[in-house]
Amino acid sequence: MCGIVGYLDKIGAEGGNVGSVLLGMLNALACRGPDSAGVALFGARQSGQLVAQVKLGDNGNGTARAGEVKIIAEKFGGREFTQTGAYLRFVFGETDDLKPFITGVEGAGRDVEVVSVGRRLEIVKQVGSPSRLEQTFGISEFHGKHGIGHTRLSTESVVDLSHSQPFWGHGYPDLAIVHNGHITNYHQLRRQYEQRGVRFYTENDSEVVAIFLADKLRQGADVHAAMESMIGELDGSFSCLVATDSAIGFVKDTFSFKPLVFAETDDFVAVATEEIAIRGAIKGDFTVREAQAKEVQVWRR
Amino acid sequence: MAEIDAAGHTTREINAAIRQCIADSCKEITVRNPGARHNLAVAILDDAQIRLAGSAGYYCGGLIDGASIEIEGSAGWGVAESMLSGTVRVHGSAGSGAAAAIRGGTVVIHGDAAARLGVSMKGGRVIVAGNCGYMAGFMAQKGTLVVCGDVGEAFADSMYATVCYVGGKIANLGTDAVIAPMDPGEAERLDETLSAYLPAPLRDAKPAAADFKKVVAGRKLWNFDKREWRIWQEAL
Repeated sequence: MCGIVGYLDKIGAEGGNVGSVLLGMLNALACRGPDSAGVALFGARQSGQLVAQVKLGDNGNGTARAGEVKIIAEKFGGREFTQTGAYLRFVFGETDDLKPFITGVEGAGRDVEVVSVGRRLEIVKQVGSPSRLEQTFGISEFHGKHGIGHTRLSTESVVDLSHSQPFWGHGYPDLAIVHNGHITNYHQLRRQYEQRGVRFYTENDSEVVAIFLADKLRQGADVHAAMESMIGELDGSFSCLVATDSAIGFVKDTFSFKPLVFAETDDFVAVATEEIAIRGAIKGDFTVREAQAKEVQVWRR
Repeated sequence: MAEIDAAGHTTREINAAIRQCIADSCKEITVRNPGARHNLAVAILDDAQIRLAGSAGYYCGGLIDGASIEIEGSAGWGVAESMLSGTVRVHGSAGSGAAAAIRGGTVVIHGDAAARLGVSMKGGRVIVAGNCGYMAGFMAQKGTLVVCGDVGEAFADSMYATVCYVGGKIANLGTDAVIAPMDPGEAERLDETLSAYLPAPLRDAKPAAADFKKVVAGRKLWNFDKREWRIWQEAL
């Protein structure tokens, strides 16, 4: 199961209500998997700086940990710190190489994880239903033009914050994915990436999708081409949504195992596991179609 | 004429209301605000006419025997699955597994159908005005499958005696599927069927019946012959 959703406001300014649309869509799909929920939201572009969402730890010792992370982050120009639940959010100076920042921040503890970094991107996710996500983070108040979301039914790996989706293309700013399905050559791919020094944070097969795409984009592929290469190189079932700071899109596996429907009008693009999510969150007269096997679509904002 | 407003009601309540209308001899029923919910109007064993003023979710019109269902939006997975008789018409597009395992009746889709259209159908008729996706007609046993537009990969794989007609391009044929010439009078019959079931503007926009490709089973998989071991290896 699992439910995935995506939304792009084609006409609105940065003040669009992407947060409340995604929440409405996720609520309609919560019955597909209430283990955990999360969103990757793309807000107003930060100029000259990046925004980070950092998971402080697994065991609720957030405030003490927040202090430690702050001291490290300040070395990278970190400021405007706010702590919500298990997360510390802050902005820091723009850099081409995120590695020292990530290594530094995650040095604060084994269970500290940089959940997202981007000029626009912010990922928040946690155990529980989409409505709990709203209670903790007030995502409906988040303004922007596009974003993706996920509600999870865990089948292969544990239920905790890190194993929840969306996944950040770790180390690649502004890249996020949500995935419904199973990647059956996950272990083989993981071994290949680990031999190249890539760190995996979870046992969740969906994580490899984000790592795969980040790798392709680093090699210079554009988003569409990177997503298309998933069809040949990833085995198993996947309906995937991918979002970057300037685009949103979907890709489906060869056999069309998993559902995915989308609607496009002059005003918006909405993609979801089931039509009930789109109809529940967006009113008006528009048509919805199920994506075909191997179909790739990308929309730029 | 009865109207049922689906908004704010559970699927069970909506389906119970449809059945109550039929029990009260009111056989023309409109369901407002269906909202793409699952399992609407399933297992209706009556010749009632049910109109959904919007989209349906999964399995709409599944297991019906005799009902006529009109979906004025799109349909999710498994629309009309295993129906025995009746008509299901989708004004928009249909999700995967549309008309799977139907035994009779007619399914008409004005838009596109996704993957696995009409798999294992055991009778009846499926007409798609648009395109269809991957593996349509897989293991279909009887009946007629018509797609006016293009069909996806592995079309008509491992079929028995279903006859398929394709108006557009075939991405590729499945195992043991072959293109066959039409019999005398067959194109006329196909044309009659299309004209009977598709609204005139839709029918007019589609190829002439004689230009459809007929796809049937090559019958290589019907009986096991060890001299054909290679074909079996490929099929399995």
